[in-house]
Amino acid sequence: MVSSISFCDSKGKQLLSRKYRDDIPLTAIDNFATLLMKLEEESSVVPPCLTHNGIHYLFIQHNDLYIVALTTSLSTNASQVFTFLHKLVEVMSEYLKDVEEESIRDNFVIIYELLDEMMDYGIPQITETKMLKQYITQKSFKLVKAAKKKRNAARPPQALTNSVSWRPEGIKYKKNEAFLDIVESINMLMTQQGQVLRSEIIGEVKVRSRLSGMPDLKLGINDKGIFSKYLESTSSNSNSNDDNSNEVNSSKSSTPQPSTGQDEGSSRKTSNVELEDLKFHQCVRLSKFENEKIITFIPPDGNFELMSYRLTTPIKPLIWCDVNIHVHSKSRVEIHCRAKAQIKKKSIANNVEILIPVPDDADTPSFRYSHGSIKWVPEKNAILWKIRSFAGGKEYSMAAQLGLPSIDDNEKPKLKRPVQIKFQIPYFTTSGIQVRYLKVNEPKLQYKSYPWVRYITQSGDDYTIRLNG
Amino acid sequence: MDQRIFARYKASELKNDLQGFDVKKSKNSALKRKNALKKIIANLTLGNYNEMVHMFPDIINYWKIEDDMEVREICHEYIRCLGPLKPKSAKEALPLILKDLNSKNEKLQLQALNTLISVPTSEFYNEVFQFTSDAINRKSQSSNVTKTAIFSLIQLDDIEHNQIFPFLERLLDILDNPNSRPAVQAACLKTLYTIHEKNNDMQFLCLKSNIVFNILSILSKLNEWDTVYALEHLPISAVPQTHSEALKMIEMTLPQLQHVNSSVALNAMKFIAYLLNYVDHINESIVHKCSNSVISLLDKPPELQFLVLRNVILLLLSREDSLLHIDVAYFFIDYHDPIYIKDTKLECLYLLANKDNLPIILNELSQYATDIDTQMSRKTIRAIGNLAVKLGDDSVDDSVDILLNLLEFGVDYVVEEIISVFRNILRKYPERFTDVIPNLIHYSNSVQEAESKNAMIWIITRYYNLLPNYLDNFSVFSSKIKDESLDVQFSILNSSVKFFVRSPSKETEKICIGILTICTEEINNADLRSRAFMYWRLLSMVQNDNSVSNETVKEIVDGELPLIELDTKLDSQILEELELDIGSISSIYLKPVSQIFRLNKSKYLPKSPALNASRRQLEVIEDSSSTYNHERFTPNRSFSDINRDSSSSPVRQSSVQNYNSPAETVNHLRGKMKLSSRSPSKLSRNPSKLIRRLSVRTGLGKNK
Repeated sequence: MVSSISFCDSKGKQLLSRKYRDDIPLTAIDNFATLLMKLEEESSVVPPCLTHNGIHYLFIQHNDLYIVALTTSLSTNASQVFTFLHKLVEVMSEYLKDVEEESIRDNFVIIYELLDEMMDYGIPQITETKMLKQYITQKSFKLVKAAKKKRNAARPPQALTNSVSWRPEGIKYKKNEAFLDIVESINMLMTQQGQVLRSEIIGEVKVRSRLSGMPDLKLGINDKGIFSKYLESTSSNSNSNDDNSNEVNSSKSSTPQPSTGQDEGSSRKTSNVELEDLKFHQCVRLSKFENEKIITFIPPDGNFELMSYRLTTPIKPLIWCDVNIHVHSKSRVEIHCRAKAQIKKKSIANNVEILIPVPDDADTPSFRYSHGSIKWVPEKNAILWKIRSFAGGKEYSMAAQLGLPSIDDNEKPKLKRPVQIKFQIPYFTTSGIQVRYLKVNEPKLQYKSYPWVRYITQSGDDYTIRLNG
Repeated sequence: MDQRIFARYKASELKNDLQGFDVKKSKNSALKRKNALKKIIANLTLGNYNEMVHMFPDIINYWKIEDDMEVREICHEYIRCLGPLKPKSAKEALPLILKDLNSKNEKLQLQALNTLISVPTSEFYNEVFQFTSDAINRKSQSSNVTKTAIFSLIQLDDIEHNQIFPFLERLLDILDNPNSRPAVQAACLKTLYTIHEKNNDMQFLCLKSNIVFNILSILSKLNEWDTVYALEHLPISAVPQTHSEALKMIEMTLPQLQHVNSSVALNAMKFIAYLLNYVDHINESIVHKCSNSVISLLDKPPELQFLVLRNVILLLLSREDSLLHIDVAYFFIDYHDPIYIKDTKLECLYLLANKDNLPIILNELSQYATDIDTQMSRKTIRAIGNLAVKLGDDSVDDSVDILLNLLEFGVDYVVEEIISVFRNILRKYPERFTDVIPNLIHYSNSVQEAESKNAMIWIITRYYNLLPNYLDNFSVFSSKIKDESLDVQFSILNSSVKFFVRSPSKETEKICIGILTICTEEINNADLRSRAFMYWRLLSMVQNDNSVSNETVKEIVDGELPLIELDTKLDSQILEELELDIGSISSIYLKPVSQIFRLNKSKYLPKSPALNASRRQLEVIEDSSSTYNHERFTPNRSFSDINRDSSSSPVRQSSVQNYNSPAETVNHLRGKMKLSSRSPSKLSRNPSKLIRRLSVRTGLGKNK
């Protein structure tokens, strides 16, 4: 259980804090700044958990802030604390947009209110922004008014205590739509020679729901585990399902979906992919998924991440760069780079950015290149090659030369930083995941709804090529 | 707003602001009043208690007439702040608080409940007891209020422990009743567990199996944080009586590994790890799911990633790889990782290393060794050296090759670290790398740190016969003995005596006498002085009365050292306790709670017919159920000096490196964690034994 939560500036000095329990002195947080400083002097390793005088400081960093949770017990559930702190930042950013020192100072009233509402006696309570927004607004509301209003609208507990804590009742839309975004991020670590050290696909299914009432959604995708079960169940009662199943509409920007009628049969099985490690939003009925492999859920209103998955199958680099860097000590550095889009001819990679590190003290860059644009980014000590659109199978190359100062300390300039690549490939998933259907069923309202789906593959946070320094 | 809210005010000023409220109820004055009330709270947070005490009557006044929620909140906050200081005046507010408590507005009820608990008088507490006992069974009460009422018992337990007992029964009843509301049940579980845990006169909570299954079945109906503490408190309190019961529980918990809230996933992992003590075998799919869950947790923000990595270390220590099959590539260090993550990943790599993956790991490590961060680079070199000692004959050559390559890199700290690490390797393989010695000695001049100096002195002394002018090498250090740190001075003293005893000659005698003189006369340290005197008397016994032979002295001063082994494991009991604390702060430090707070009860696995004797005897069965995998996980791997890698300051001594220094018995909980190690005693010489040997042999040899 957390004893208090504080927001501190970049030096570790307290901006505001909320105390939840009486077991710590008020001054405990004041030590945080000195503790941080001492540790930073002592070594470069500052773990997100410090201990001083029997008080544990668990903290996360966000922009120029430290968000610190204090606790006295060693058996405090640290995973809960860290998760909560991140959630807190997430919620606050919905209220304040940017969570940083200035916005904290400007909005302390609402922050106190949020802190009160999200945690009680050191135990996390509600952390869904949608629910919090119902009764934490900038204005305070009056008791008298509350009594006059419709009974269920004024009282938050209704929604909080029923089993669907993430969706209030009585939502209405004129046009009922659900948007599915399937985003796959590729993380890859490669050596300069082209050996793939690690590769993974991290997929997210994001949903933007604009649906009235309490709809029950059923999502079908071509995962092996999920899909084989689906085949069994539909073969027996496919007819009865038909009436309220909405075939997925392809939005203008997406590839045409194979209609469900056509690929019924053996061809389906072969195109199935096996997703590892699915993670679901709390609205998905996990036990239903575990037993019957069906993804069913009552969605929260608005945007949310329905599920995420991970695949570790070895994949070929989608965008590969053959980089050669020659450092001529005391005179110049030469960089040759050949980029290749190893994707289907039909696909196009957009906004490709290749960030190649150069020595800190390099200057006077000169470039030769055929496509895109190149500029030197001194603050990152790198050159950035941008290619707006990069068609599959194409190969572009560039050469750059930068000067180095003639005076040089003895150390050989090292380039330990990796080459980073960013890209986006629309209408394409690397894993081959496809949405088969999304059924919307609102038992009371029985409206017609329109599901849309879109696919995109992009580089993850970590799509890098290591340089042999 | 004409005045700033956060400024110190006198009570009279604020009273002024509050005046004239009842004359006209215009909006303007209402705003003004509210502002004044806000100032009161602001002043309380500023600590201006003396002045604000006088506002008590005004607060009561407003409480009676104002309907505004914000005003009520302010009133409650006021009582919460000042009630503990002025319990008598707080009593005046009691009826008002009770009125709010019995109102229909949930927010007000919560406020009132919190206020009641914060004032330490029995009247207030009795009201809480009264309310709680009513609320527990009343279904009409919103479950949020019921939850808070149940949690308030934890607080009341500190004060009125005896009054709690009747409630415990009732909470158990709620858990037992499948018709209770899930959120309330979760709160009951947490309250029961916490009260049982913190009172020393009570046993740990123990739940009947049907209750456990009931809780597991409601997990999906709870909100994410309720799920967290339901799962958090199931270990220990749920005691499966048979293997199949435990398996069933695991099965019911598995879906939670896929929860998007990392805390739920990690706590599910904790419960599963706990239950594994009560099964005789598990399916490979469970291992697969756990590993996958961990891997995806590694994609979370760095703080969580750090926590998960620490727990991976814990699981690797206690179960080797029986629960987690994770490809080493996931622990490869990324350039952008924060340093504490890099550090922890390095430890994981070290622990995961075995004969098969060693080439990959060494290849990675050699990359890190030239990292820009000095400490990172040092730790990597440590890890390479320790791997050489840990993995034995097959791997040592590869590790040494890498170290020698790095030596050519020539940067000071790299060289220093390599020298220190080489001493351990040489202690393990005394004859294998003799041809490397001259190469190492070459760097005598560039070592600066105490530890690497010690190492260098030891290497010179041990392999003097390979060095044509070892005395010159030695004099690099001995000539500056006065400037050295204490442990280097000890090394110099020992070595100088060793040289003399091995080959008594004019030169060695001169050096030896010189050092002894400096140690006894010039350096002002009692320990060093008495050691020097001890040597001196020993040597003079040989020369003067011949009561001790030269051979005996040699044996005392320059005995054969035992080969080192990295053989220390964490105590299995400690591991057991740590495993019950997965995801907690103690898992970050890898220190069980009871080791730091002696008054705390230490957790242990509850006895049950299904409990396994040894954690390592868990069979993993392939899914196809063809049980060919009879691999028993024998405890032959050792992790003695991981603390090497983890110690945040390079100066910190560890078990194997210096047999001269006193064994470290106390582990500090500072910055980073160290694993408890028992090996030092093995390596440090036992002085009493030496003395005994001395007295037995005195009459024998009469050389010289």
